[in-house]
Amino acid sequence: MSRAHPIAVTLALCACLSGAGTALGATTATMTAAFAPDRLGAATTVSFNFQISADGHAPDLLRSIDFRYPANLGFATSGLGVASCAPAALEARGPSVCPPDSRMGSGSALVQIPIGSEVVRETTKVALLAGPSQNGYFNLLLSATGESPVAARVVLFTQLSPGRLEIPVPPIPSLPEAPYVAVVRMHLTIGGQLTYYEPVHGKNVAYHPEGIGLPRSCPRGGFQFSASFGFLDGGHAEARTAVACPGRR
Amino acid sequence: MRLDRWAGGLDKAAGRTAALAVLAIAAAGIGIPPSRAAAARVLDVRDEGHLRFIVSDGSELLDEGPAQGTFTGKLRVHFVYNGEPAVSARFTISGHGGSISGKAKGTLSNPTSPDPSFRGVLTITGGTGRYAHIHGGGELFGVFIRRGPNKYGLTVQAIGKFPY
Repeated sequence: MSRAHPIAVTLALCACLSGAGTALGATTATMTAAFAPDRLGAATTVSFNFQISADGHAPDLLRSIDFRYPANLGFATSGLGVASCAPAALEARGPSVCPPDSRMGSGSALVQIPIGSEVVRETTKVALLAGPSQNGYFNLLLSATGESPVAARVVLFTQLSPGRLEIPVPPIPSLPEAPYVAVVRMHLTIGGQLTYYEPVHGKNVAYHPEGIGLPRSCPRGGFQFSASFGFLDGGHAEARTAVACPGRR
Repeated sequence: MRLDRWAGGLDKAAGRTAALAVLAIAAAGIGIPPSRAAAARVLDVRDEGHLRFIVSDGSELLDEGPAQGTFTGKLRVHFVYNGEPAVSARFTISGHGGSISGKAKGTLSNPTSPDPSFRGVLTITGGTGRYAHIHGGGELFGVFIRRGPNKYGLTVQAIGKFPY
């Protein structure tokens, strides 16, 4: 029996899950979440999809994401992020400059850039990395790199709190004289196919870090996730979803 | 001296008899001297445990291993780390004559290190056997191992003086 690729499993699970969004104004947001493998007590890969939709007008510019997840997920007790990446180097040269052991996840983001009367779409590569900690908190860096038509990189900073990630999003410039970039979709996988290195008898040996530990019991209604998206004009949209308890689908 | 003090309400002969009886029970190791005599003893702990990972429950890890030092035995620790610098633990150490249970709170530094360290305070919450009346608090130091052969293991040191 062939083994399904974890990302493929994740995407398939995302497709099965329903994400519900609510709108304030004409902008709505939806999200999905998935675990792969989806087994209580096991180390897993966690994937998220966010989508921001505008009803007949240009999408609002994203200013913040307030992401909530079950506080007892084992993000901090995972084997992810056993080195840190220097933010200045990441901003200047991209994720390739970061230590492999600082990589925690990857994904993509779809952005819209209004150029004249046209709206150009660009897919950017997203990397999630562990950042340096001065205060004992687990700091995270989210890097998004676009190449064409706009070559740009933006690095977002956040801090791992129990059950919560607050991500400020700065205005993202595009071309000269053109409006800011609007984020309309994002996919992020935490964990997955990562390769780390550890010293063994004087040599660096590759290994795959274990992912996020799932609790051994499932809360009623499944594992709840939600996100509140704040926009530049002061509006906001909320989305929520749940990963159903294994074996109860 | 201590026996004289708690036996102060009795006449001298009765006090000596009571004191000898308690000593005999304690020496035989079959009983728990009740309350005041037991509370006069102090367990001076300076122990270290090298624990291996047993199982996880989300942000809580269960580790076990031998404790060595002034109180040897089997140490079992439930360690909770959810991303904040504040970490917590519940522990039980089982040795000859009984077990000691407690809880601890600490602060973890360098969270993106392969082996972040933490330090904090521990509080004894109870005991069994000859430590049924143990109480007090102390200091805790530890290392959380995030990779390698002892992945998710803990190294902990406990220091304290606990009356029992």
